[in-house]
Amino acid sequence: MNIGVIKAYTLKEFKELMRTRMIFTVYALPLTILVLFGYGIRMEVTHSRILIIDNDQSKLSGELVEKFKHSKYFNTTEANISESKALKLIKQAKKDAIIIIPTSFEKRLIKAQKIDIAIFIDGSFPNRAHTIENYIESVIINYLQNYAQRYPTFSTNIIAINPRSLFNQAMRDEDAIVPGLIGLALFVSPAILTALLIVKEKEKGTIFNFYASSINKEDFLIAKLIPPFLLHSVSVLILFLIAVYLFRVPFRGSFALYWFSSELYVLVSLSVGLLVSIVTRSQIVALVLTVIITILPGFLYSGIILPISSMSRESYIEAHMFPVMYYNHIAYDTFLIGQGLSSKKIVLYLIILMGFACVLLNLGWFLLKKELKK
Amino acid sequence: MIKAFLSIVAKELLDFLRSWGLVVVVLYSFTVDVYIAGSGMQIEPKNVSVGYVDYTGGGISQKILFHLHEPEFVAPKRFLSQKQLSEAIFNKEIMVGIVFDQDFEKNYRKHKKATIDVLLDATAASQSFITLSYLQNIVLNFSKLNIPIDIDIHKLFNPNSDERYFMALVELLSVVTMLSILLPAVVFVREKEEGTWDIMLLMPVDPKIVILAKSLSQIIIIMAGVVITVGLVLFGTFNIPMNGPFFAFLLLTFFYAFTSAGIGLFIASVSEGMMQTAQLSMLIMMPLIFLSGAWTPVYAMHPILEKLSLLSPLRYYIEGCESIFFRGTSFIDLWQYFAGVLVLGSVLYWYGFRKIGKLF
Repeated sequence: MNIGVIKAYTLKEFKELMRTRMIFTVYALPLTILVLFGYGIRMEVTHSRILIIDNDQSKLSGELVEKFKHSKYFNTTEANISESKALKLIKQAKKDAIIIIPTSFEKRLIKAQKIDIAIFIDGSFPNRAHTIENYIESVIINYLQNYAQRYPTFSTNIIAINPRSLFNQAMRDEDAIVPGLIGLALFVSPAILTALLIVKEKEKGTIFNFYASSINKEDFLIAKLIPPFLLHSVSVLILFLIAVYLFRVPFRGSFALYWFSSELYVLVSLSVGLLVSIVTRSQIVALVLTVIITILPGFLYSGIILPISSMSRESYIEAHMFPVMYYNHIAYDTFLIGQGLSSKKIVLYLIILMGFACVLLNLGWFLLKKELKK
Repeated sequence: MIKAFLSIVAKELLDFLRSWGLVVVVLYSFTVDVYIAGSGMQIEPKNVSVGYVDYTGGGISQKILFHLHEPEFVAPKRFLSQKQLSEAIFNKEIMVGIVFDQDFEKNYRKHKKATIDVLLDATAASQSFITLSYLQNIVLNFSKLNIPIDIDIHKLFNPNSDERYFMALVELLSVVTMLSILLPAVVFVREKEEGTWDIMLLMPVDPKIVILAKSLSQIIIIMAGVVITVGLVLFGTFNIPMNGPFFAFLLLTFFYAFTSAGIGLFIASVSEGMMQTAQLSMLIMMPLIFLSGAWTPVYAMHPILEKLSLLSPLRYYIEGCESIFFRGTSFIDLWQYFAGVLVLGSVLYWYGFRKIGKLF
């Protein structure tokens, strides 16, 4: 370790980053991810486009249609068209579901005879279809419950569910998504920043400065890491402020834990990019490789949309190979729960993140050659 | 003219094949990546851990719990007090807690409204939402309505809700998007950085031809990758149904790749070096991939984003592919997806031609 050399090299790297006007894009990326995705990704499926064909046109069936119209989950239209025409609308992706109320709906309901309600749902997005199915069923059964209560002759046993969510009382989508997005943003943007740092020198030939100079490998890596690390330390703070003040996500844990784990995580992400930069020989490969191993896994394995616990086989294993999952567990805890270091799992995950940083950096150090490859 | 065009295409293809690292990465993303996403990803809850506190002495409550079974739920675990249950949820051992209070059974027998308290770990919102609706339906079936109602649900196109279809297809579309933006962007910006682009423009060949040829060469690579994925992974491994015309899918993919290459061209023309290209393409790709309607339906988004997504070619491509693969939409009804992709592509190329298509 030679502090003087590191200082000089760091300064040179820092100036280089500044001169390419990187300072703007460095922060634009995590900001965009957090703000756009925070407003864009939704767990609840609202405004599903459903079409009701009311063949009965009676008072009671009208009431059922009203129920659908007043629900924020549906954009309901009513039409009197044939079934095949309606199905064509689904085929053209103009409607998500069709509900067909039979002709004798009212008569049968009063006489308590069997009623068939046919529902057609577009199944091409399976999860969405499932959610819509549940919503529609709830609306119909809820309607029948109310109907039965009005007429005590139908003696019924009614069970109501009173959901209370811990940590996220209002079931706000923002609370559930934004902490996870921080994990995605702090994975993708540091990695893409360092991915080209070394391979760029290889392509341009300036790497010979490193081969020829007296600087040793670890000093070189440290000097390469410091400027991006400092730049993204600021992102850690910016993302926190946006989450708390723009999205109004509660913060229940300790800020120190958030800060420390985020810095550690940024270091892991930077090392991922740096490792890519060390093993590849051209900038194109480095860029494409980084994109492939950060964007999709960062999103899929972050636990924002897909719970890790319900993944199977290959995906389950792959999820554990990426740091996102561990960091996001800590991020969700610091924002929504606040258990902090009293939870063994969080301590374990912190250790795993440190392990990631150590292994990646050592691997990079080992693979970095200080002479020309033949 | 044609000769110049073809030789540029051939040169770029050769360039690609010689860079074996790139070939490996591209092949990996088209095969293994799509396979992993399709084989193990599930959005619906599985193995959800349930805990309960029962103050009623059993009976109805046990009958309700009986309905929580595999594969969605792990057998419910009993807790003695609500405090213990909350603690277990805190430690993430239990995801859903159910509390039957003392009056529950009494009210139920007396035909009054009986209430169950459900505690959800909402830090896992997606599981919570779906688990809640599962519970709601189990319980609703339990509320014995004397009205015999038969809700007859038909899920069209994918009756078993096989998520592998969806995940594999979405992953493929994401890979196509990433590569068809990145590869052309890199091809152009590399020449720009090395200065050979200016030489290219000085040659007696129409710059438009050069740009189109270079884009086409990258699109050929993408198309080859798509054919491999569709044949090997989508049809070969996952047996995805193909209800629409196959040529429509290929044609749409071709146009889409052209439009994305246009985005790549745009990125290359505004950025000065590789570093900037990397940052910019990330900045553009990520919203495209995740906000084009695959994960959240566009109509459920914030109204401003809903409007903005009209600018995303991927929005048309996803809807179009879903229609072709699953809905089996006829070719005529696909025109809007083709139109959306083509209009955006033309605008991008028009800009690209103007911006880097001339020397001064």
